[in-house]
Amino acid sequence: MALLEVEDLNVTIPTPRGTAHILSDVSFALERGECLGFAGESGCGKSITAMAVMGLLPTTAQATGRIRLDGRDLLAMDEAGLCAIRGRRVAMVFQEPMTALNPVKTIGFQVAEGPRLHLKLSKAEAGRRAVAMLRRVGLPPDRFSPDLYPYQLSGGQRQRVMIAAALACEPDILIADEPTTALDVTIQAQILDLISDVVQETGMALVMITHDLGVIAETAERMMVMYAGRIVESGPTAEVFRHMAHPYTRGLFAAIPGGPEEESRRLATIPGQVPEPIALPPGCAFAGRCARTEDDCRAAVPPAEPVGPGHRVRCLHPHVGAT
Amino acid sequence: MASDGASDGASDGAKEGGLGEVAAKALGNRSFVIGGVLTGVLIVVALVSLVWTPYSVIDMDIAGKLRVPSAAHWFGTDQFGRDVFSMMMVGAQNSIAVSLVAVGVGAGFGVPLGALAAARGGWLDETVMRFNDFAFAFPAVLSAVMITALAGPGAVNSIIAIGIFNIPVFARLTRGGALAIWKREFVMAARVAGKNAVRITVEHILPNVASILIVQATIQFALAILAEAGLSYLGLGTQPPQPSWGKMLNEAQTLMFLAPQLAIFPGVAIVLTVLGLNLLGDGLRDVLDPRLRRLR
Amino acid sequence: MSVFLARRLVALFLTLLGASLAVFLILEVLPGDPATVMLGIGAQEDSLAALRAQLGLDRPAWQRYLVWIWGWFQGDLGNSYAYDEPVIKIILERLRVSLPLALMAITLSTAIGLPLGVLAAARRNSLTDVSVMGFVQVGVAIPNFWFAILMILFFSVFLKVMPAGGFAGWDAGVWPAIKSLILPAVALALPQAAILARVTRSSVLEVMREDYVRTARAKGLTFAAALWRHAVRNALIPVVTIMGLQFSFLLAGTIIIENVFYLPGLGRLIFQAIAQRDVIVVKDVVVLLAGAVVLVNFIVDMSYALLDPRLRGGGHGQ
Ligand SMILES: Nc1ncnc2c1ncn2[C@@H]1O[C@H](COP(=O)(O)OP(=O)(O)OP(=O)(O)O)[C@@H](O)[C@H]1O
Ligand code: SF4
Ligand SMILES: [Mg+2]
Repeated sequence: MALLEVEDLNVTIPTPRGTAHILSDVSFALERGECLGFAGESGCGKSITAMAVMGLLPTTAQATGRIRLDGRDLLAMDEAGLCAIRGRRVAMVFQEPMTALNPVKTIGFQVAEGPRLHLKLSKAEAGRRAVAMLRRVGLPPDRFSPDLYPYQLSGGQRQRVMIAAALACEPDILIADEPTTALDVTIQAQILDLISDVVQETGMALVMITHDLGVIAETAERMMVMYAGRIVESGPTAEVFRHMAHPYTRGLFAAIPGGPEEESRRLATIPGQVPEPIALPPGCAFAGRCARTEDDCRAAVPPAEPVGPGHRVRCLHPHVGAT
Repeated sequence: MASDGASDGASDGAKEGGLGEVAAKALGNRSFVIGGVLTGVLIVVALVSLVWTPYSVIDMDIAGKLRVPSAAHWFGTDQFGRDVFSMMMVGAQNSIAVSLVAVGVGAGFGVPLGALAAARGGWLDETVMRFNDFAFAFPAVLSAVMITALAGPGAVNSIIAIGIFNIPVFARLTRGGALAIWKREFVMAARVAGKNAVRITVEHILPNVASILIVQATIQFALAILAEAGLSYLGLGTQPPQPSWGKMLNEAQTLMFLAPQLAIFPGVAIVLTVLGLNLLGDGLRDVLDPRLRRLR
Repeated sequence: MSVFLARRLVALFLTLLGASLAVFLILEVLPGDPATVMLGIGAQEDSLAALRAQLGLDRPAWQRYLVWIWGWFQGDLGNSYAYDEPVIKIILERLRVSLPLALMAITLSTAIGLPLGVLAAARRNSLTDVSVMGFVQVGVAIPNFWFAILMILFFSVFLKVMPAGGFAGWDAGVWPAIKSLILPAVALALPQAAILARVTRSSVLEVMREDYVRTARAKGLTFAAALWRHAVRNALIPVVTIMGLQFSFLLAGTIIIENVFYLPGLGRLIFQAIAQRDVIVVKDVVVLLAGAVVLVNFIVDMSYALLDPRLRGGGHGQ
């Protein structure tokens, strides 16, 4: 049994203009200690997937399917059960370090908060743990007192605090939702190295959500490509990079100089409009933008078919052969 | 670069779908409809009272004093035998007149002052704003009491007293809105085209701050009704024999053991009026300018 | 911090100066002669002149202003024309009513408004929320003097459990004195509680959308704990501003409410003093009230620093 199994996850949000289909038939599994990467254009549902696993979907959202952690379905769990899991078994690092920390609480308090809650540590014990965690993420107490406030730190330092807080209870899964997008390029590498180090050290599983395909290539053993709320291609990272089958995945890589082997493989822009979540077409959502579109593409959503070892793709006319 | 900025203009919300769409939106807004109906009823009653009331509000009928409500006298009679319903109708007219003029005074001075401060900037702006701060820190009712008590009680003096404290409200709001618009591209363009500050203010600035001013005016109108009632209650506002709701409440208080019903009707009238105007203001805010919508 | 303090003190001083000038000028410009009021309409011209000289009213305005201000620095606020007593003595006497009244009212409005606002925000769009917003709309629409009359009708005329007005005096015992202040305090507090509830609600709603509240939830805090520990304190910053502003509304409210309940407080004092042209009392009380308003705003500024560490300053890391 995998550590985390997501099966047929569908998330809808009612809006004044109609029901928004945010996630459709999302299924994936995460093994202990595995690193899984999520890529896709802005708005494709990466963050919502993460929030669904955390049990923190918007209150108006409706979710169906199963999200099993050690076999227990989180969607069927009561709030108290979810609170015991959040931060303890599954922890999360967010995109915006500038706003993700409470401006009126010390960084020590914010790192110690989780251990005090979940591990029932005393104030002093939790404080010591916070100092240790801060030291681990590169904020030694001689220069970074736990009594500092977030405004006294830079963006990169704040993201280190976020990581310290996420690691403080030794979770089984760390979800990093674009942890470096808001940071300077030089800082980005440091933060990614830090995450890779602590993941290897503790043996926890990592879900890395990113716009940066270079990050996926470096950190993720398996990867998922999302489009309009669906996983359109998934497989071992090396295999997917070698045999990109979905036209969308190829489109993402196409315009990048030097191809997929190049050091910086950011998502390219593909011409055309992503369909709105309240007006998804009955067939393949990529049909309007895809050069390989044929009539059958518009009839029904393509099923996820295997195209290689562990490699699946939702496309009726996938590319075959090496990238 | 300012293309984003230009699209969130204060008036664009209203322009968006033309007048028809705004009207449809207004009719679908519960606050607007309830507030509009309450305010509408008040205005109609006040207008009717100008030409007709069931009984005279001046003539006394001591024999028929302190009657409880009946078919002849819907709200009963007061200690002089006057018909309370008729007095309330005239009271509505009084409330509206005093508050409307007071808010008019406030806007009449405040808006040009605010527009001027925004257009000129510098020491003038600084002076106007410091004066504003000072006026805000000073309890308005206290000064209103001082003015009316010393200059003599009466409707005109209470208009002045209430109006003075509306000036900084409108000045501040106009200045804030105008400053933002002065920085916009189309104003820059107008300046480059050689239009002077007055013309730009009239053609571009004022139309763009109009919707927030209308909303604020509704709210100030409600506050003015409350202030007028308070002054009249203290005996500093509208003088007898002209009926006013505040004065009626004052008289009712002395008769509380004899005729408690007298203390009810004018108060309910004030509450409904203020409630109606506040709801209308909330509704207008939603309809005219979605960006101003409070979290609800 | 000391620069901050110094700047606030200068502001305090300037506002008091402004207020004293304003009230002096208003009283100067407006008609009404204290001597005539004191001696009555039919008084002899020479006795009027004598009284004016005795009161110092025959001197030029700027001299009278300076004499008055100089008195403040010496702790001498002058003598009331109407009561023939030192103004300071009258004010202290009246404060024994107004100060407890104001404190009760502000405690009450905070105790009602804050929790209601937080509750409504926490249960957004629920029946609780709708009810609180209904209370807010009605609360700001009710004239406080009418609400006072309604309470007198109910508690004094109908139930006969509360005094209809008047002040028992502290000599009559603490409870009777407090009891005569309860209805006035409730009347003063109601509209303020409504405003406070509205501001608190929208402020908490705003803060609840902040990323750091989501972070707190991701750490495993319950909704209530995240709200209480991470949202409320941040949400209090704008609320405290409003509470500071409310103080001046409260002072104004005492003028009407003390009249409704015939309470011998500052509000009623100034109302009567204006009617009696007891100019010296009016001037002193107005400056005192203005000073109180500025002082409260000073306290509000200080409490910002308590609520928000960014305003406290301090060294940067590294
Ligand atoms: N509270 C909400 N109500 C309605 N729609 C929402 C809500 N939150 C998110 N969405 C919609 O869900 C979709 C997926 O959003 P999500 O935040 O998961 O995108 P993302 O892949 O993380 O994008 P990005 O790379 O920009 O972070 C978007 O179309 C967004 O508009
Ligand atoms: S199914 Fe058709 S439209 Fe969709 S990606 Fe494949 S080829 Fe393109
Ligand atoms: Mg995202």
